[in-house]
Amino acid sequence: MAVLLPVGTRKGLFLLRSDDARKDWELEGPLLPGWPVYHAIVDPRDGVLYAATNSFIYGGTVHRSDDLGRNWERAEEIGLPEESGLKLNATWHVEPGKDSELWLGGDPGVLFRSDDGGITWDVNRGLLEHPTREKWQPGAGGMCCHSIQIVDETMYIAISAAGAFRSDDGGDTWTPINKDVAADFHPEKYPEVGQCVHKLLVHPARPDRLWQQNHCGVYRSDDRGDNWERLDGNGLPSDFGFGLALDAGDPDVAYVIPEVSGEQHFTPDDRLGVYRTGDAGASWQLTAKGLPERAWAAVLREGFAYDEGGLYFGTQSGSVWSAPRGGGEWIEAVRNLPPILSVEAAHV
Amino acid sequence: MAVVLLPGTLAAEAGGQKRFELRAATVGEALRQLPVANLLFDEAGELRRLVNVYVDGVDARGGRLLDEPLTGDSEVRIVGAVAGG
Repeated sequence: MAVLLPVGTRKGLFLLRSDDARKDWELEGPLLPGWPVYHAIVDPRDGVLYAATNSFIYGGTVHRSDDLGRNWERAEEIGLPEESGLKLNATWHVEPGKDSELWLGGDPGVLFRSDDGGITWDVNRGLLEHPTREKWQPGAGGMCCHSIQIVDETMYIAISAAGAFRSDDGGDTWTPINKDVAADFHPEKYPEVGQCVHKLLVHPARPDRLWQQNHCGVYRSDDRGDNWERLDGNGLPSDFGFGLALDAGDPDVAYVIPEVSGEQHFTPDDRLGVYRTGDAGASWQLTAKGLPERAWAAVLREGFAYDEGGLYFGTQSGSVWSAPRGGGEWIEAVRNLPPILSVEAAHV
Repeated sequence: MAVVLLPGTLAAEAGGQKRFELRAATVGEALRQLPVANLLFDEAGELRRLVNVYVDGVDARGGRLLDEPLTGDSEVRIVGAVAGG
């Protein structure tokens, strides 16, 4: 079985393929040339390739391909109801759900559901009409709903800068889950909502455990987001970053790629470094064998992925790096792509 | 029949077709018949801000835009806003 990385860039979509060794990579693309691809996945249920595509001129949409990029269909109108007074600014994240459900996160802090493979999309009213919406603020990338995690009957989303939310009723209602998560830029340091989550992941084998890389720290929750523990320090050079990856077989392992600060979006210490914890965030170690020691790189929130065999991330300077699960040497799978917006891992 | 010409990105979204011959009384009527209409208009039905339309070489934003009348030999050209160097 081949490993396939859909790599979204500012100028189109690229596909990287390798075998299980993950040492030699073949590049295909650009697909959808000219379209910034904020996120792309291969749906493990049916192999359909989806891309959240956004044009500066023609707006945000979703493209789908049944044949891994040879032919594409575009979604019908994706929009917000007139009475909301809102307009869709961008599409951000595509996530498979239960049965045939497909979910799409977007800006301004909105969520859509499709039941026909991404052709038509219905807005999620529970989030659109959330009673705290007036307290939400856009982050530097807009008010993007960028994280969607679905475990059994529970859904989690995260919005920058509205915070994280949980739904136990299929998306009808959403409970803020931001207790003890800092919002240093906010008049109230620990508000109910308004936190700037950069990425939120649920551990696939321990679904009560959530991790998030936030504008203001790295956090872990062991009770579905009801309580959060801050984990930065103890080896992390910065509390700021975007990308986050886990280890499917070990819930105590997580990886982050710190950046200097909210004002300086590049890696600290004049190098490119991935930091790993193996003790649930109590300590962090640099894992950088093979990564450049003179670098000022940036990895965006969708730019870090993992599967059962490896870790993968893409930089805004156009390199994709791969390492075997658990550490080992990083390999530059490709360089000189356009600025990378997203990396995901699939198997075909 | 009026002729509508698409730029490259939109033509790719229209199956590679760059030129459309349409029966339409106005610019708006012509654009809404295109298979890429949902890229030209937002959810409120408004022409996206950075989509420019030229009718026989004249910027329709300086005229009646979507209500600009077309004749049988009008040429409508869609041009995405250009910025930068």
